Amino acid sequence: MPETPPEQPVVLLVEDDGLLLMEASDTLSDAGFTVLEAPHADKALKVLENRDDVGILMTDVDMPQGSMDGFALARLVADRWPSIPVLIVSGMGTPGPDDMPDGARFIPKPYEPTTLVRTLRAFARRAA
Amino acid sequence: MSGAAGAAMDTITLVGRIPVEDGGVTRRLASLETENRHLRALLIQAHRQADAELLRNARLGQIVASERDASRAEAERIRAESEALDAKHRIDLADRSARLADAEELNLQLRASEEFNRRILWTSTDCVKVLDLDGRMITVSANGPAMFGVANHAALIGQPWAAFWSAPESRAAVKAALDAARAGRPRRFQARLGRGGAETWWDIAVTPIDGADGRPERILAVSRDITELKQNEDRQTLLMQELAHRVKNTLAMVQAISAQTLRNADSLAAAGEALGARLFALARAHEVLLQGSWSSAGLADLVGTAVTLHGGGEPGRFAVSGPDLTLAARTGLTLALMLHELGTNAAKYGALSTPAGRVAITWEVAGPEEARRFRFRWEESGGPPVTPPARSGFGSRLIQRSLAYGVGGSAHLAYPETGVVLTLDAPLSGLVAG
Repeated sequence: MPETPPEQPVVLLVEDDGLLLMEASDTLSDAGFTVLEAPHADKALKVLENRDDVGILMTDVDMPQGSMDGFALARLVADRWPSIPVLIVSGMGTPGPDDMPDGARFIPKPYEPTTLVRTLRAFARRAA
Repeated sequence: MSGAAGAAMDTITLVGRIPVEDGGVTRRLASLETENRHLRALLIQAHRQADAELLRNARLGQIVASERDASRAEAERIRAESEALDAKHRIDLADRSARLADAEELNLQLRASEEFNRRILWTSTDCVKVLDLDGRMITVSANGPAMFGVANHAALIGQPWAAFWSAPESRAAVKAALDAARAGRPRRFQARLGRGGAETWWDIAVTPIDGADGRPERILAVSRDITELKQNEDRQTLLMQELAHRVKNTLAMVQAISAQTLRNADSLAAAGEALGARLFALARAHEVLLQGSWSSAGLADLVGTAVTLHGGGEPGRFAVSGPDLTLAARTGLTLALMLHELGTNAAKYGALSTPAGRVAITWEVAGPEEARRFRFRWEESGGPPVTPPARSGFGSRLIQRSLAYGVGGSAHLAYPETGVVLTLDAPLSGLVAG
């Protein structure tokens, strides 16, 4: 891949299903990203508050354990960390017009691993 | 008569043929001849007169006869006419009384039909309204006040029908139907009626009622309550969405299991075997989920399924104890996969790989009411001495991230020499269905 940036950004992966989290994490690691894992929105916000190297947020929508779902997390992140691009992944049908913040992308579950990697690489190029 | 006159002339002619002999005689003959001619002329004249007279008489007779015929025909005509008049009067009379009877019959029928209609309206659950061309209610069936949530008919009569439909799209549909009816076209549509807190749905047929001139004079509106139908439709749509969501989630799990299996496998054959076994475990867990309408899973059933799968048909290899709990669907699936990995590992390298090996599965709910904790333990014994694995496989990685991970609990996999031990400790509220 000639267009692969020299340094892949850190991806914060928010997913409450351990199996799916594990597989997405492996897929992104194999593609050269550094992956941070969070099981729900509240843990993800803690990570963002404590680190300044998060380059991309990828989140599931339906996460009953946190205080907010993935859409709310995406809007909050777009507001507080506008430089971090947001990818939303869900099996819950298509999002409504006000669900996602401007510039966020949506991929329905299940997804092709190559689609996921391609989308995140495009984010990385945009951020660079 | 002319024959008789001819015979007389013949007789006179014979007399005139007497022979002539001398001058005296000749003169005498000549004078006789002259007289004879004169007499004959007179006779012919008389004959003619008689004939003319006869002819005249005959004509007169004919006239008299024809006159007599004519007056007889006239009399006949007059008699027939009067008879006809009589008959006509009789028919008129009969006709009038028949018409009267018909009218009375019709009246009865109308009254019966009116009563019939009234009864139909009375027994129908439909709300029937007659509106004027401005859309104001003239007549409303008995159930009208209940439909519109008003106290009585007085609150409806004279009011514009469309004003009761507060939902904008419903009011627009009602107004469009009234416009169509005014133009002579019927219309059928569904509309939502907000009534206090409750919402009702109606299937409405609007039809113009034509007047004597064939143009719409009034408007008939019949509304049927389809609220229950709509609620069922909504429930079904919701169920289908939920089903789609769960199928997608399951496929995402299958995808992840496949990818993980291939990622960590030593050979394609090993990957195929492991994948088949994992998907079978997932399928069995789904069966348990189905018993909970796919929204929950009984813990005892899930453990029982794993025990059957890995016990090899030998009784006593597993010792299971713990109260039954209803787990959330995803927790149940994850736990089933975990038990499958533990069981498979035990069968390959651990307690289930030797005849004397045993596995104890125990769990309990502990702690104060407001902070209940779920404690789960898998403990192997009697197997070959355990050495910790060189690298963490699918099972141990799954255990680290699952069940306890998302809900703020902890999972610990230990490898003492006596046998593998898994301990799970998590808030119960995050795991149970609810």
